[in-house]
Amino acid sequence: MQRMIAVDRLARPDNRIMVPLDRIREARTDQGLTPLNVMPFEEDFLKARLHGIAAGEMQAMEAAGRTLFDFPDAPWEFQLDMARQVWDESRHTEIFSKLLEYVGSYLGEFPEGEVLWSCTQVDDPACRVAGINRGLEGLACDVFEQIIRLGQKMSDAVIERAVDYVLADEITHVRMGSKWMRKLTEGDPERLRRAQQFQENIDALFNFQGFRTSKEEAPHVPLVVAGQQMDFDATLTISRETRLMAGFTEEEIDRLVQAAARSAAY
Amino acid sequence: MPELGNRANVMGPQPIGARHSLPPDMLALGERILDLLAAGKRTELEALAAPKGSTELRELIDAVAPGVFDRHEIVGHAKVNKHYYVKARLHSRSVEPFTFQMRLGEHEGHWAIWEAVNLTGGRTAWTR
Repeated sequence: MQRMIAVDRLARPDNRIMVPLDRIREARTDQGLTPLNVMPFEEDFLKARLHGIAAGEMQAMEAAGRTLFDFPDAPWEFQLDMARQVWDESRHTEIFSKLLEYVGSYLGEFPEGEVLWSCTQVDDPACRVAGINRGLEGLACDVFEQIIRLGQKMSDAVIERAVDYVLADEITHVRMGSKWMRKLTEGDPERLRRAQQFQENIDALFNFQGFRTSKEEAPHVPLVVAGQQMDFDATLTISRETRLMAGFTEEEIDRLVQAAARSAAY
Repeated sequence: MPELGNRANVMGPQPIGARHSLPPDMLALGERILDLLAAGKRTELEALAAPKGSTELRELIDAVAPGVFDRHEIVGHAKVNKHYYVKARLHSRSVEPFTFQMRLGEHEGHWAIWEAVNLTGGRTAWTR
C-alpha cells in the first residue's frame, strides 16, 4: 500500500463537494464576508461550524490511521496512541454527524476543505503530531469551548454536553501530541525546531486576521441562533483555560493571542 | 446521512432547526448550463458567467466536444453562505463521462457562474 496518499484519494461519496481552502475563502470574499471561516454573526454559523468540525473529525480519523500505517518503525506506544485516536475520532465523527442532523443540517451540506489532511503530507511523525494534535486540535479546544458557551446560552443541553464530551478527548489528543513531539525529537533540536515551525504555520493559517481574540476580549453582538435571539461573541475566541488543561504553556498561549492581535493591524 | 423524516413520534432530542431548501432558480440554472454545455452553445453560456468566472468557463467549454453528450446529471451540491457549488456530469455512449464543478451565486440580481472547474480524470477539486 502506498504511503502518504494524496488528498483526493480519500474515500468520499460521489456527491460530496471537495473544495480547496483558498477557493472557499474566495467564495466568502466574493460575498463580502471575512475570508477565513464562518463567523458567529452569520446566519449559517452553527450549521456550518458543526459541519466543518464533522469533516475535520473524519479527516483526523483518517490522518491518525495513516500515521499509524506510514511509520511502522515508530515506538509501539506511539502506534497505540494513534490507534486509540482513530477510535476516538470515529466516535467524534458520529457525534457531530448526529449534531448536524439535530440543528437541521447533514454531512455534505457545505463543502469539505483539505487542511487537516494536508498535514499528513509530511514524512516525519513529529511534524504530524505537532500540526494535527497541537495545531489543529489546539484550535479545536478553542472552537469547542465557544460552542459549549453558545449551547449554554441557548439552554441547549444536547449541544453543550455532546461537545463537552468530545472536548475531553481533544484535550488528551493535544497532550499526546505534545508528549510525542518532544519524545520523537529527543536529542535532535533541529528536528524539534522543524516540528514547532510546522505547528506555527498551522497556527498562522488560523489566526483569522483579527477576527480571533481571547474569550475575555471578544466584543458581543446581537445574533439569532436556531430561532433564539441573544448577545454572543463577534469573534472566534481563544480559550486560555482549555488550552492550559491541554498542556499548552502560558507563554505559548500568550504568543497565540499576540499573533491574532498583530494580524488585526495588517 | 439520509434525511430521517418526521421524528416527532420518536423518543429523544428532536431537531431544533429545519433544513435549508435549495433555491429553485439556482437548480434551474444548473440544468440550463448542462444543456448548453452539451450543445456547445458558447455565446449563451458566456452570458451566464460573472466576470470572475468567465475565464474558467471558457476553458470548460473548450474541453467539451459539442453534440457528443446526450445525458446529464447534477451529482451534488454544497453551499457557502448564499453561493452554491454544483458538481455535475455529462454522459455519452461513445466517450467517458465529463465531470465538472461550478460555483453559482447571484450577480447583479441574477444567478451566475462564479467558478467552473473540470474534474474529469480527478476525483475532487482538491487536486485541480
